[in-house]
Amino acid sequence: MTRLLIANRGEIAIRVIRACRDLGISPVAVYSEADRAALHVRLADWAVPIGPAPARESYLVVDKLLDAAKKTGATMLHPGYGFLSENAAFARSVVEAGLTWVGPSPDSIAAMGSKTESRRRVLAAGVPIVPGMTTPAKSAEEIAEFGRENGFPLLLKAAAGGGGKGMRVVRSAEEVPEAFARARGEARSYFADDAVYAELFVEHPRHVEVQVLGDATGRIIAVGERECSLQRRHQKVFEECPSAAVSPELRARMEAVAVAAAKSVDYVSAGTVEFLLAKDGRFFFLEMNTRIQVEHPVTEMVYGVDLVTEMIRIAQGEPMSLNEKPTPRGHAVQCRIYAEDPARGFAPSPGRILRLRRPQGPGIRVDSGVEGGDVVPLDYDPMIAKFVAWGRDRDEAFRRMRRALAESRVDGIETSIPFFLSLLEDPDVVANRISTQFLDGWSYVPKRPPEDVAAASMVAAALEAMDGARKRRPPAAPGSGSGPGAWRTARASFGLRE
Amino acid sequence: MKFRTRFSDDKAGRALDVTAGAPSFEATLEGVPLSGDALAVRDGVWSLVGPDGRQIEVSIAFQNDGSVRAYTAGCLFGFELLDELTARALAATGGRSARRAAHATAAMPGRVLRVLVAPGERVMQGQPLLVLEAMKMENEVKSPRDGVVASVEAAAGQAVSAGDVLVRFEAGGE
Repeated sequence: MTRLLIANRGEIAIRVIRACRDLGISPVAVYSEADRAALHVRLADWAVPIGPAPARESYLVVDKLLDAAKKTGATMLHPGYGFLSENAAFARSVVEAGLTWVGPSPDSIAAMGSKTESRRRVLAAGVPIVPGMTTPAKSAEEIAEFGRENGFPLLLKAAAGGGGKGMRVVRSAEEVPEAFARARGEARSYFADDAVYAELFVEHPRHVEVQVLGDATGRIIAVGERECSLQRRHQKVFEECPSAAVSPELRARMEAVAVAAAKSVDYVSAGTVEFLLAKDGRFFFLEMNTRIQVEHPVTEMVYGVDLVTEMIRIAQGEPMSLNEKPTPRGHAVQCRIYAEDPARGFAPSPGRILRLRRPQGPGIRVDSGVEGGDVVPLDYDPMIAKFVAWGRDRDEAFRRMRRALAESRVDGIETSIPFFLSLLEDPDVVANRISTQFLDGWSYVPKRPPEDVAAASMVAAALEAMDGARKRRPPAAPGSGSGPGAWRTARASFGLRE
Repeated sequence: MKFRTRFSDDKAGRALDVTAGAPSFEATLEGVPLSGDALAVRDGVWSLVGPDGRQIEVSIAFQNDGSVRAYTAGCLFGFELLDELTARALAATGGRSARRAAHATAAMPGRVLRVLVAPGERVMQGQPLLVLEAMKMENEVKSPRDGVVASVEAAAGQAVSAGDVLVRFEAGGE
């Protein structure tokens, strides 16, 4: 039986384990000291410790991963996402160790991992990128001319800059002279270099990405797009397939461009080409992710494909199992459930999950890395589960997702479930009036409960306090602890602020 | 047993008097009679069924700061719950808001990345005292008050638990 090592943890390790089971492959897990009890270890046939909790001492150490493969006789390695999944040197080491790398070639990873090299390759393949000046502007007139050619607004940027310093938005040709002078001044004072250039400023863009799949026969297909505009701190939190902003005609163009981008690096395996979609329907290449994405399940639900088993088959040298281009059916949405507290500024909320009730029922898929009783460690990404809902249309998918969120219970830690319940009721989200900046201006406000819910909760809390005192009261301690106030000693902090 | 309850955005609290506990509870909330069947499904999880058949499942978590967090389908909210003796004692001393925090605590478990203040340093309310790292994110621990740092109880690299005292303030220092 072929053995495949998964160089990852959490829900994606479990996702790969499931693909292994479907293919009759024996999965090999690796685990850090923080993950001995983790679900991905307990679902695997083989498991190898790879060091202390910090990822740089375990999940990111190439030699330990290769040793684990050797020890267990694994002949394949799947990197998941994050960690070393887009590290060309790691992919090369895996191949050189005689293992089958489940992913694109190290050369493809390296080419797409370099900002300059990837732009050079995709430009040569006719893929649009955000129009920008390739050399610093010599005069305000040069910038105005660039704007007349490509459209306004423009973004002036310091050539030596970063972090938003020295950046300026220019909305018309008339504004250029003054903005140019100021941007140069800022660039000089921040970076001791007054070189400034301009690029098109895409206002309120959407993040739309196209799933591609290539195999060793040289065939590359696109499997539709995903809408990933709802992002917090530049992290996607909610994804949809298809994008309600993409028409069949636009989809065809985006898919063709994505395939061209993938072909420019001879792409084999599953990958994602990310685009910025402007309000006017223009779209521009952002980057290509040379791995499986967190949000791949929405594509799987709508297109009826299993991208991870395809990746493994393709790595084994087989052609992809999709003879024809798959056709979409219905709509799918995904919520990334994080162990964080929406009522306290999304502060991390690691700890033991006392109870986990997962949503079930028609149209629901849950990819989770934990079960009830598990501890969510504070050493890794706080995502504990992905809830995916499928419906015949976007409205049904939304209704099912709301049902799934309301049905779920996670006790012991806080999660982003209440945040999503509010988000999915927002009229702009429901009407698909969103952009990548949408969540910057949106804040979670805990909902005031209806009066009957509030009253029931207050009674339950009082009963819990009384109940807790009874259970914790030491037996037969005459003269102490009875009567009101007993539960107060049982819960020393309860009722006292400090 | 008598309680006072209060939502954080309410000025006045409400009197809650529980005269019969689970399973057949009887209570009044600000004079309104409440009764029904209360089942403790497990610690912190209650299912209440009213005489009209209304069923509400609620998870209850007592917080380190003494407040209660409740979660029902779709609703996450917090409130205070004090037994009446404590409520009266607090009212007599001018309420908790007038009391001064003696220290800053960790709101969550994590590792101390940086310590930003030293003993003897004067700090303002809201000023960052330390930076904690948990789950790949940095979180500032902000000063709960104006005051003078008496001691710092955590060092960079140290792991801390929720509720641990991180910084102590000098008594009364303003």
